[in-house]
Amino acid sequence: MRRANNKAWLAVAPVVLVVAFTAIAPLMTVVNYSVQDIFDVQTRLFVGLDWYRETLRDPRFLDALARQLGFSALVLALELPLGIWIARCMPLQGRMTVVFLIILAVPLLIPWNVVGVIWQIFARPDIGLLGAAVTALGLSYNYTSSAFDAWVTLVLMDLWHWTSLVALLCFAGFAAIPPAYYQAAELDGASRWQVFRHVELPHLKSVLTIAVLLRLMDSLMIYTEPFVLTGGGPGASTTFLSQYLTSMAVGQFDLGPAAAFSVLYFLLILLLCWLFHTTVMKRGDEAA
Amino acid sequence: MIRFPRLGQSDSTTPWAIALAAIRISGLHHRYEPGAAPVLEGVDLELGDGEAHAVLGGSGAGKTTLLHLLAGLLRPSAGSIEFDGREVTGVSPAERHVAQVFQFPVLYPALDVAGNLGFPLVNRGWSAAAVRRRVGEVAERLSIAALLVRKPKTLSLFEKQLVAIGRALVRPDVALVLLDEPLTAVEPAAKWRLRQALKAVQGELGLTMIYVTHDQTEALTFAGRITLLHHGKVLQTGSPQALYERPAHEAVARFIGSPGMNLVDGEVSAGSIHLDGQPLGPTLAADGRCTLGFRPEWAEVGNQGTPVTVRSTRALGTLGGAATGLVTAELGGKVIHVQQALNGLVGDQAHLHIDPARVLIYRDGWLLAHAAS
Repeated sequence: MRRANNKAWLAVAPVVLVVAFTAIAPLMTVVNYSVQDIFDVQTRLFVGLDWYRETLRDPRFLDALARQLGFSALVLALELPLGIWIARCMPLQGRMTVVFLIILAVPLLIPWNVVGVIWQIFARPDIGLLGAAVTALGLSYNYTSSAFDAWVTLVLMDLWHWTSLVALLCFAGFAAIPPAYYQAAELDGASRWQVFRHVELPHLKSVLTIAVLLRLMDSLMIYTEPFVLTGGGPGASTTFLSQYLTSMAVGQFDLGPAAAFSVLYFLLILLLCWLFHTTVMKRGDEAA
Repeated sequence: MIRFPRLGQSDSTTPWAIALAAIRISGLHHRYEPGAAPVLEGVDLELGDGEAHAVLGGSGAGKTTLLHLLAGLLRPSAGSIEFDGREVTGVSPAERHVAQVFQFPVLYPALDVAGNLGFPLVNRGWSAAAVRRRVGEVAERLSIAALLVRKPKTLSLFEKQLVAIGRALVRPDVALVLLDEPLTAVEPAAKWRLRQALKAVQGELGLTMIYVTHDQTEALTFAGRITLLHHGKVLQTGSPQALYERPAHEAVARFIGSPGMNLVDGEVSAGSIHLDGQPLGPTLAADGRCTLGFRPEWAEVGNQGTPVTVRSTRALGTLGGAATGLVTAELGGKVIHVQQALNGLVGDQAHLHIDPARVLIYRDGWLLAHAAS
């Protein structure tokens, strides 16, 4: 029998070490916290899955979860068609293309808390350009007192911040479609809608999959912008999972429940992304 | 005047293609942007009903541009295109009764093969039953009936291109089928099969087809007539034989044939062609320097004629009981090829004899006249 040469493992070792320290160790720490009740450095108690049960029965957690899912679904439903439409309207080549690409990239370059600050000022009903304009139209608008207004402002802010990402990905997808497909469709007498349905959409499938995954993960993890803009209010109307978690862990030092919450939160994002990805892949196989 | 069937009307008594078209292109110019170099310069071409025509040329000759102009995907800068005497320059691609097969198979990924074949008919308002019947006919003709329920992804390149050809044939009102190097993307082993299928369909249906290619073998095997396009100009249109035996331009002479025609420096003086100072035969051409063209099989290397230096001899086989070979020699600094029977030893220093009745005389690139005339 040939003696296996395992020296190659040495080459992988540094990566394993780095990953262990950056991902596995912190994650296991959290898992460790989540099954204990910690009073102080010396005093701790193993509680099993109690924190998980408690979290799942916590009405504030369930409310935040519902808000979170609603918010993610809403921004995805708006950003995807909008991003596709913007990419479709862009010139595929020429000097203007560069200008459009730069304009689209700008929101992505702004730090998240700055985005929150920009919109906090922009939407203020007294001095903000948007808020004052809407108020001047005779509409009652105040994102600090009305839950509905707060949601509208948050969704608008997210559209402003992230539609660019979808548009840029779709632009790459559009640019990769060979002109022969459009020419064939024209000769075949296809309508504008059929060109979109049978030429463009199938060719955008892979970039759209990436766009959905990125936006799904990011929107589920949203923290900074609503924290700066509304602080989770009015009331708890814009408190999403991450913000509720932070208030538990940092505000109240409930490390056990917060750890259980974190694990559940992580599993939720993993589950949704996995569900989406396998569904898309499976449908792709059926189409094949 | 061609009469088209009412949309959705397709029964077994309807002939396959109703709209045969004679095509006339005159003075066609095209440039992509004002001020840019012209891609086509004064192209004239006439095609008869049901003709299989090949447009042959190297890259950048303007072949694809010509097809796009015929399809209506581009508008010419100048000139006209007529289908059966009707000017179509302003007619949209969808209304032009033209179909195209592209370099690589262009299929709609979300539709199955039947959906792809029926797509042009559905868009023209055909009933589902009529579409199904017509798609069935086309699939039968191309022997792809078994593929109808498959998605394009699962097909080989050969099968995909066959489906793309089927989609080009599906409309009975298609007068002209354009083929843009349709074998390029197909697996090498399947190229011949696809070409046979195309040729058979063209012959059976009598469809007018224009086949664009850079490959002379494809052009010679597909077409009844060939147009040689070179830097946006038509150098010659004619039968494969005419292009081979009397190339109108040196570029045609070089392009057609493998190896191409031998082109050597010569001179006409006192009614006689001279090669390397020695008289070759009489001619009516005016005196002056010229280029002499002869095919490898129109000459022989032996012990009489113009002195040449033999570089190599390669056996081609024993055709008809005689060993045949290709002799590569040098004449006045130019390499020439001669195909002949190898029935004796050919030394390094030999003589070239050209059949004086077949030598072609070129001046400024263009064919003057037969030497013997």
